[in-house]
Amino acid sequence: MKQTYRYYALGGVLLLAFAGFSLSSFKETLTPYVSYKQARDADRIVQVAGGLEKGSSKYVADEDFLYFTLQEPEGADTIRVRYKGLKPANFEDAISIVAIGQYDEGAKEFEANKLLVKCPSKYQGAEVKEYG
Amino acid sequence: MLESLSQLYLPGAVTLWAAVIFALASMWGYSLVLRGDGGSLRFARLSYNFFALAITLASLMLGLLLMMRDFRIEYVYQYSGLDLPAHYQFAAFWAGQKGSFLIWLLWGALIGILIKRTAGRNEPMIMGIYTLTLMGLLFILVRENPFVMLKQTPLDGQGLNPLLQDDWMVIHPPIMFIGYAASAIPFAFAMASLWRRDYDDWAARAFPWALGGFLVLGCAILMGGYWAYKTLGWGGYWGWDPVENASLIPWLLGTVMIHGLHMERTKGRYRRANYILAALVYLSVLYGTFLTRSGVLADFSVHSFVDLGISGWLVALMGGFAALSLWLLATRLRHVPTKPNEDPFLSRGTFMVLSTITVLVSSVVIAFGTSTPLVTRWFMENPAQVGPSFYNKVNMPIALLIALLLAMVPYLTWRGDDLKAVLRKLLVPGLFSLAVTVTAAAWGGVHDPLHLIFVFLAGLALATNLHKTVTRARAAGIGAAGGYLAHVGVGVILLGFLASSAYDESTKVTLEAGTPKKVGDMTLTFTRFIPREGREKERMEIEVVRGSERFMVYPKLFINDRTKQVMANPDIRSTPFQDLYVSPIDFDPGQPQLQLAKGESGHLGDMGVRFVGFDLQAEGNAMAQMASGGPVTIGAVVEVTQKGGKTTTLRPLYRLNPTNGAVETPPMPLPGGGAIFVSGINASESAVQFEVSGVANPARLSIDVTRKPLIQLVWFGLYIVLTGGAVATFNRLRQVRKRDELAAVVAE
Repeated sequence: MKQTYRYYALGGVLLLAFAGFSLSSFKETLTPYVSYKQARDADRIVQVAGGLEKGSSKYVADEDFLYFTLQEPEGADTIRVRYKGLKPANFEDAISIVAIGQYDEGAKEFEANKLLVKCPSKYQGAEVKEYG
Repeated sequence: MLESLSQLYLPGAVTLWAAVIFALASMWGYSLVLRGDGGSLRFARLSYNFFALAITLASLMLGLLLMMRDFRIEYVYQYSGLDLPAHYQFAAFWAGQKGSFLIWLLWGALIGILIKRTAGRNEPMIMGIYTLTLMGLLFILVRENPFVMLKQTPLDGQGLNPLLQDDWMVIHPPIMFIGYAASAIPFAFAMASLWRRDYDDWAARAFPWALGGFLVLGCAILMGGYWAYKTLGWGGYWGWDPVENASLIPWLLGTVMIHGLHMERTKGRYRRANYILAALVYLSVLYGTFLTRSGVLADFSVHSFVDLGISGWLVALMGGFAALSLWLLATRLRHVPTKPNEDPFLSRGTFMVLSTITVLVSSVVIAFGTSTPLVTRWFMENPAQVGPSFYNKVNMPIALLIALLLAMVPYLTWRGDDLKAVLRKLLVPGLFSLAVTVTAAAWGGVHDPLHLIFVFLAGLALATNLHKTVTRARAAGIGAAGGYLAHVGVGVILLGFLASSAYDESTKVTLEAGTPKKVGDMTLTFTRFIPREGREKERMEIEVVRGSERFMVYPKLFINDRTKQVMANPDIRSTPFQDLYVSPIDFDPGQPQLQLAKGESGHLGDMGVRFVGFDLQAEGNAMAQMASGGPVTIGAVVEVTQKGGKTTTLRPLYRLNPTNGAVETPPMPLPGGGAIFVSGINASESAVQFEVSGVANPARLSIDVTRKPLIQLVWFGLYIVLTGGAVATFNRLRQVRKRDELAAVVAE
């Protein structure tokens, strides 16, 4: 009987350890939506959303970099985004763009490693495509 | 919302209402049986059959309305169209929310007919609870009626979402819903058993159903993976998308449940846990439906449905069944007789418990991750979600532990074992697995120590279970080896997961037509664009040269005629050891066209163009020419900025003869070679369309080239798991039948 309890204790400790591990991975991979101001101060991966500033996108084919400026939906703040990768199709038509990444203090740019591009669609209002 | 009668297609709506009445009648009949009126059994069964008939008729009606393209019906209008091929015409049935609830209900109703025969002495209670689960779906359908009519009949429907126009759409969703429908069966058996305090009979009877549900849901998940991988071009077979997770969580919980039922049947263990598991499986299906159908995840999933206004219903449904389960578990569970746990640590019993707990933990973690947008709503300003990296990370230790436990179980007995003896048995499979690991390290480029341990344990699980499958099948027939066979498959899948996810190499590259480009050890050339031929969509031909091998791949990139959505289908070159996955991203046909209004500027190839305005004095006064009705000549003043920054002003002409409509647009030579010309004038927007010719401007194709090593193992392993599961299902069915035969003999 005593041994059984020892097993339960061991199992409990293992489960707790795993719960701690999952929670820390959870916190790490959680990418909160933040304002541009918060994004500039954050030292972790975050998501910023906004509309594409007209005529701001530039794709540099040799380096495979896409640059564009996002406009905060409510408010006048803008943020310059750098994304390593090809320019998504229909990019200019996007209703809204979500950039997931981290602010680069040196370049004063938001370095996105993933983009969610919401484009107008006849079906279900809009269609979201993922890049990166 | 409840529609007024005139807004409903009455034959369909009435059939659904009739189904409600028959279902209620059946439940009432069964309740009479429970109170001792045995004569009502016939009435209850007959009412149930009429209920199932009504649901079948309603489904046939919706199917027919879809086939006849009857656009009076809102659902037909929303998901069908005149240009939709016949087989998609029917698949439109489950393209929307209402239709998918109806097919779920249809399968549930039909399965119910079979349950009655296998339910045994507890049939009234089981059927009562089972019918109650179907009533939940039926109420949603009565509220969100699929037979709502439009006020005016449109000439054409909106068509089926082009993403869904795929052969998998015909088969994958209906099978998924069989799996969902089947999850209610063990639930009904378990809850009825608790309610009636009849704790002995249910596990044996529910076992084949649980296995069957596990198999069907597994098949559906496999198909979904194929669909995502082979045609949707999502790059992988699994994206940890909420909709995918919504089917995975019940499947993992179902896996735990079938192992629990196995333990109950063979050793009388897990008797209390199985009740909880049966409830969890069903509630997880409802919860997944709530997450994906209520719109709470609309911003977070590629394929969640939008809110139909049924969130409240789904919450009520979930809450109701959760409350029922909790009440029954709270009041009855402690009365369920169990045996004390006396298994020594190193025994089959303990190891099976540990592995089921591990799978349970995995499903809890996945459920937690999928719920993130809901959970974070409480303590964060904006809801957030976790990406695939979270799931991959937390499931890594789980996979390692599962592999270790699976590797040990075949050599453990229920009585308990001596560690030395077990290790001795593990020696040969261990050597085999070591050989696999060394191969992976030496030739497969696997150097991460954690990955090497992973390969070793997965290989060990594969080897020990394979050994046991063979010996068991020889000793007692293949029927007795189903479980071991399924575990061989798990080992294979784990190897496939690691190889295809941690060791894939992806490169994004833009190819110019005709110019070879080196990507890794391959040379890729975009050879040509193949226009649409009949049903075959626009394709890109890419030549791949790798060593002495030379082949073509044909990814597709086309624009859906209706929605103008750009659709991309990958092409896959499969070899036994790796897949070459070529997914198109973007295509630039290389014949640049540009439409500009006055004052606007844009790009034609690498040349900047600004449209300054019209020149109405190009060849005489254009206004006077127009007034006289004779030939008119208009000049378009453009500023052209070529590479290097030199800007020139040019005046390409547009000559129109109004009498015969003839248009002449002489090309205007560009300073650096080639020419620009006006290809059209858009009078309504007072814009001009420009084109260039004679400039070397090749078509450009951007693609994602990914090498996925050993991805075949994932599919192959799943086939083995499902085959093993099928063998076990037939074996359990035979046992139930034998038991019933025996009981009949004893009764006589």
